[in-house]
Amino acid sequence: MIGLIQSVVLVSVLSAGLLLARMLAPYIANVYSYESRGRQDRLFLPIETAIYRLCGIKQDRVMEWKEYFTAMIVLNGLMALISFIVLIFQNSLPLDPQGFPGVRWDLALNTAMSISSNTNLQHYAGENTLSYLSQMVAIQFLQFTSAATGLAVAIAVIRGFAGKARGKQGLGNFYVDFVRSLTRILLPLSFVAALVFVYLGVPQSLNGYTPVTTIQGAQQLIKIGPVASLVSIMQLGTNGGGYYGANSAYPFQNPSQASDLLEMILMLLIPTAMPFVYGEMLGKKSRKEGISILVAAYALFMVDLAIALYPSTAIGPGMEVRFGGFAPVFWTVTTTAVTTGSVNAALSALNPLVIVSAFMGMLIQATPGGIGVGLVYMLMYVLITVFIVGLMSGRTPEYLGMKIGVRDIKLAVFGFLIHPFIVLVPTFMAYATRATSAIGLGTGSISFTEVLYEFTSAAANNGSDFLGSAANTVFFNVSTAIVMWTGRFVPIAVMLAIAGSMYSRDRGPTNGAGLKTDSLTFALVLFATILIVVVLTFFPFLALGPLLEFLRGHVNGF
Amino acid sequence: MIEGGFETVKLKEIALTGARLAILSALVCGLVFPVVITGIAQIAMPYQANGQIVYVNGKPIGSAIIAQSFTSPLFFHPRNNSASGVDPDITLNSAYSQVSRINVSTHIPVASLKAIISSNVMWTYWIAGTPYVSVLKLNMVLMEKYPQIYSAFVS
Repeated sequence: MIGLIQSVVLVSVLSAGLLLARMLAPYIANVYSYESRGRQDRLFLPIETAIYRLCGIKQDRVMEWKEYFTAMIVLNGLMALISFIVLIFQNSLPLDPQGFPGVRWDLALNTAMSISSNTNLQHYAGENTLSYLSQMVAIQFLQFTSAATGLAVAIAVIRGFAGKARGKQGLGNFYVDFVRSLTRILLPLSFVAALVFVYLGVPQSLNGYTPVTTIQGAQQLIKIGPVASLVSIMQLGTNGGGYYGANSAYPFQNPSQASDLLEMILMLLIPTAMPFVYGEMLGKKSRKEGISILVAAYALFMVDLAIALYPSTAIGPGMEVRFGGFAPVFWTVTTTAVTTGSVNAALSALNPLVIVSAFMGMLIQATPGGIGVGLVYMLMYVLITVFIVGLMSGRTPEYLGMKIGVRDIKLAVFGFLIHPFIVLVPTFMAYATRATSAIGLGTGSISFTEVLYEFTSAAANNGSDFLGSAANTVFFNVSTAIVMWTGRFVPIAVMLAIAGSMYSRDRGPTNGAGLKTDSLTFALVLFATILIVVVLTFFPFLALGPLLEFLRGHVNGF
Repeated sequence: MIEGGFETVKLKEIALTGARLAILSALVCGLVFPVVITGIAQIAMPYQANGQIVYVNGKPIGSAIIAQSFTSPLFFHPRNNSASGVDPDITLNSAYSQVSRINVSTHIPVASLKAIISSNVMWTYWIAGTPYVSVLKLNMVLMEKYPQIYSAFVS
């Protein structure tokens, strides 16, 4: 339960996020409009044209979905490879003032696949493991590009749903969308945010850790580095991978309540803007299609908040004094609602109901979800919902005036079912191969929660975890790496395939008999469908873990 | 193997373009961006950019926002179980609970110690929320106000 101040903070953060997102949305939509030749183009086009020339990109080439996907996956694979190489050889490369050794192959593999899939599961403590070069060229670099990839994919899917009447660009050109995401959205916003973070007390230095002799005469290393530039994109790009092992609980990554609130608003910004962008790109008459999606997403977010805020929010062990007891709960729900996965307290310090709420965010992945992909998941749920509504009313399902066919539904359901598969099978395998007991995990509900959370977080490309460096074993590094890339790219492929076939599909006036998808009623049906489908899938497993802990009355029990 | 087939050519082109774009992105996002931010931060905000180092008699003794170990009974002590392990702050209750120990070992009057605490209180939400204090701040005030008691630590 929360008091007046906490309520004011909660409402202010959410309103600020919504307002800024609404203001940003037309700009984002404009970024990806190949037709516009406005002020934006005069500023950015010369830079981008130079990039296209350097890389041999044919910017006018229209890509069908398979080419868009191939270009995306090949680029992401090569970028992950760069990161992998930098991590392995960091000791032989420049900017390693602390002399950290090269990262072991399985941890380097896990880290490269983790950051490139926008997950940021961390089986390492950055400040004790990574050189400055690794923090920048292995981590920050991929935090930018995975966010840019998410945005590009969302825009391609929107173009498919919007159809040929809204432009001749097909699903678009992946390279152009990717480059524009960086030059026009992520780099400028991160630039401003990074400098504000420095002002608020986040270090930004390449001078090496500062040794000091403390007042009592002990030796202490003040672990500074290029932190602010990383924190800005890790939050804005819903990445979540921190500079420090303790993530945004560490004072240098999150020095004050002001930086805490700014980090919260940053991670909400683009995921909240995307439904507005969707409405914008569908055209004036269809703006409300975006609103109904946003309403459903935020209604689910509110349910998560209500669950998490039901227990006491008093400060306890594992929390940072400067934030108080409410901030970690609000943060944990928000960071999983946008699958960022950063933390500002130890997860084990939180009430089991907060963990249930975090699971909900990661299992749904669309409340409003990660950068770009949150909207993509929401559109997947929309297709499943119109199908169910169609079954109930006995009519052919329709969306945006087009018929939704068997193939669409098969693909959407496949995309949805991937998630439980890659969460539950590896959880089972972790126990079956005794990889769990190897790191001291038992079969009780506390351990089970930690293992289930690990794979749920990996599959949802969220990134927070209970295990942290304890999971730095070959089994957990390799298994979660596979889960992270599957959870990232299979649903993306599925939704691009659907969008690709929708692009040239005929759109007529709706038959008028179905449920109007731009209505509040539809938002409610969508909300209920998501809740029922996800809860039915995962309830038994939540019951074995955090729900059981809650019923046993274990607070701070993990 | 279909040499020079359409799909092969296309995949080759995608790999070549991808490799160039990957390297360029790594340079821009991974090097140019953080280095530019570092340059601006070091010139415009060197205190924050370098970790808010605190000096006593010209010597760096720690960071204002990172906890350092205090074990002597003469000082306020930080908490050990917090999430980051270097939480610089303690709650007001925790500070007051240490007053009698410091009083016994330093003979600084309880009222003076309480006054030092209450004049350095911060709030989690600026003017509201939970009150707390910075351990280093309190100890620095003690050292400043009672140099003779703390002379062993000011060198």
